[in-house]
Amino acid sequence: MRIKRRRTLKAVIPTASMSDIAFLLIIFFMTVTVFRKAKGLPVQLPYAKTTERILKQRDLAYIWISKDGKVSVDDNIVSPKKVALIFRTKVSENPALITSIKADKNVPYKYVHEVMEALREANALRVLFSARRGG
Amino acid sequence: MAIFKKVRLEEEAEIPTASMADIAFLLIIFFMTTTNFARERGLKFVLPEKKDQPQEVKIKSENLLKISINDKGELFLNDEEARWENLEREVKLRLEKNPNLIIIIRTHGDAPYDYMIRAFDAVKAAGGKKVSLGIIGGGG
Repeated sequence: MRIKRRRTLKAVIPTASMSDIAFLLIIFFMTVTVFRKAKGLPVQLPYAKTTERILKQRDLAYIWISKDGKVSVDDNIVSPKKVALIFRTKVSENPALITSIKADKNVPYKYVHEVMEALREANALRVLFSARRGG
Repeated sequence: MAIFKKVRLEEEAEIPTASMADIAFLLIIFFMTTTNFARERGLKFVLPEKKDQPQEVKIKSENLLKISINDKGELFLNDEEARWENLEREVKLRLEKNPNLIIIIRTHGDAPYDYMIRAFDAVKAAGGKKVSLGIIGGGG
């Protein structure tokens, strides 16, 4: 009778494809990453029920309007006239631009109106009144 | 000289790949922490074009619904005082009667922006598509 030699089995986790998975994840995150470009102003966004989601992050440009009526574009405090100038170049670079107006909910409406007029001047007609979802 | 030749071994060119996964994971963690996903939400609106010579379009008053908000945040529907809670229902009712209704939201310059958003939101919720935004007092 042959005596079978007992082989000891070694538990092995295949790690050869680990780096492949890792690189896949890297590429995923690299492509979806959008670095924060501007900090903006501290604003309390209004709430709305019928908000829509904008998926094309690259088409978005932001304007912040703080409670005291300060307007910020790309982290610079600007006047409405300057807003028209800045957005004219932005629109010429990307005609599908959507301007997200992040205005504080307590800001007097005239400041928002001024900005909207400036955007009309710049032909940046697609806007988004940034709001949070809720009643 | 002869000794020197003997010592020389053939070397294989090798790239160390053991730490590759570590580098990869480091990069993953970096991108994971710096990623911010599109979280942009809001109310879409298309501004009217600015023309050198403003066109005058005559609209019949029955096709028009004026929503006015004064500086105290009080609401008026076609110059009649209305309540905020009823706005959506009211707009919906009027839209059912006349689907061609054009809605103008006029906000006083000193009224908080929130009221305009509330009115615009209510109009959107009621299904109003033709919306115009205006200002009362303070230019325009």
